[in-house]
Amino acid sequence: MIPTLVAILSLAVLGIPIALNTDRSSRGPMIVGTSFLYGSGTMFLVLLTLSIVHIRWTLISVSVAALAIFCAAAVIARRQPATDNRQRPVRPHVFDVLTILTISGYTLFATLVPLWEWDFWAIWGLKAKAFLEIGAIDWRFLQSPWNTFLHPDYPLLVPLNFDFVALAAGWNDRWFGLLFVAWGMALLLIIRAMAAREMTPFYASLLTFGLAGIGLSTNIGLAEGALIAFGSAGVLFVRTGLLDDDAGSWRNGALLLGFAANCKNEGMALLVAVTIAVLLVSWSRGLAVSRENDDVAAQPRNRATARLLSLIPAYALAAPWLVLRATHVLATDIAGGALVRIMTRLPHAHQILGYLAAKLYKPWFWVAILAGILIAPAASRRREAFVLLVTAIQLVFFAGAYFATPHDIHWHVLTSWPRLTAQIAVPITFVVFLMLANSLRGGEDAPHAEVGSDQ
Amino acid sequence: MTLRRALTILCLAAIVALSIGARLLQLVFVDRAPLARALDGFYDRQWPQYPHFLSDLREHTQPGDTIAVIVPAMGWDDGYSYAYYRASYFLTGREVLPLVTPDNRRLQRNFLAAKYIAVFGVRLRVPADVIWQGDQGALLRLRR
Repeated sequence: MIPTLVAILSLAVLGIPIALNTDRSSRGPMIVGTSFLYGSGTMFLVLLTLSIVHIRWTLISVSVAALAIFCAAAVIARRQPATDNRQRPVRPHVFDVLTILTISGYTLFATLVPLWEWDFWAIWGLKAKAFLEIGAIDWRFLQSPWNTFLHPDYPLLVPLNFDFVALAAGWNDRWFGLLFVAWGMALLLIIRAMAAREMTPFYASLLTFGLAGIGLSTNIGLAEGALIAFGSAGVLFVRTGLLDDDAGSWRNGALLLGFAANCKNEGMALLVAVTIAVLLVSWSRGLAVSRENDDVAAQPRNRATARLLSLIPAYALAAPWLVLRATHVLATDIAGGALVRIMTRLPHAHQILGYLAAKLYKPWFWVAILAGILIAPAASRRREAFVLLVTAIQLVFFAGAYFATPHDIHWHVLTSWPRLTAQIAVPITFVVFLMLANSLRGGEDAPHAEVGSDQ
Repeated sequence: MTLRRALTILCLAAIVALSIGARLLQLVFVDRAPLARALDGFYDRQWPQYPHFLSDLREHTQPGDTIAVIVPAMGWDDGYSYAYYRASYFLTGREVLPLVTPDNRRLQRNFLAAKYIAVFGVRLRVPADVIWQGDQGALLRLRR
């Protein structure tokens, strides 16, 4: 266990200068959370790059590459001018103890026995173990017609993180569970810091405690834990970027969404959903502002273009895997013949959507979220339109995937729908809770909203 | 208190109550042994000795070897998919060839192409050299 912990801590250390370069004002729980996510994402890029240039993964080759990145990022971070500490200090609250207890329970669960999930040893863990055998990505293994069951087209951030931990600490099915604890904790630290900026310690800690129940994926060994961490944090950073016009939040959002796209195909879909939502929100708000004060910079097209450009890093991070999977002609199950299947199933849309509603995981939770959206003041809903839109678009993508699936729909829904809904639960819960909590405080807006140009 | 405020409080309480990870919280305070027993080898319950058999196979084969697996249930959904996927995990570096397709068609060419045939829980009546024999099965090399 100790070597695995050391490997995970080294990922967090690797990410510190990268997190500081992304947002120099990052402090406290925020810097800890983002550092681990950047360390994990960077290690994926290191292993991917070494594999592409045919350098075998060894502890030495990987450490040298990571150390070079760490030093370069540290030098750049040191040269950056210090900023005034924009982030509010996070004041602890008694509910934080309950969050820590939930994380403790999750740690016990994740490391109770060797990873047991079918998808671990048939997909994510299998790929990692096969790659470790040759110290590189085994393209022949992914291209084998007998291995289509392991979804060769799925991106590799999670398997390559397994491989880094295995290089440092040896292959151990049980202690890999700690990686999932680290991804989950990183997300909760980021959420706690974000919530502290916009809510009182009571509400911020209560929200984080609640989100610990849905942000910590119990599908240990699958890519869900990493996707929820990168994706949810990315969406919430873009939200802050939109509300504050804060460059640091935009950079954080774009980079984390780029890494989310390297966790699962749903991460790629999330990036597209975020892009569409940014476009719609920027356009509508730009329209409103330019009508009011004739501001050229605020004109819808200029505003939308400027914000879409901020997402370029996300696409730059997502692109290598898309290119590699195309050049290696890796099999994908959903795409081939999708249009025909969609057209065939469209007449049965009401049945399919009804089945999705019937099999919704934690239906009362979603009823409460929906009720919260309806109860919240209209102004708050407009302010949080971005996250509401992202969630709605992602749901449409998920439903579309079921219409296009080559598998039996019932089987596909039963085996994936709870995981998919868990992927989008954190950001929507954050904003609905925030809207309701702020309305209880007499309609006060968050402190940052007062300086946001959108208001 | 207005109706809207009451509904807001109710909704906030509901969201928190329905979100919290009650089972994760409980885990800290309860005996975790039953859960560990339930999870450990959950998918191996049909053939609990199969993972040990595969570990032995790994000891007796080399990277690059091709291996086909024969188990008591040769129907894809009756257990063969499990046997094939599980073998792929334990025998990484080797190439595991399936002998059955998901629609239960036999793949005779894989049987003939594999360097080794691993038989678990069954006896195979074909001319073959026994490379290794364990309690639950054996590793065979077909005589060509």
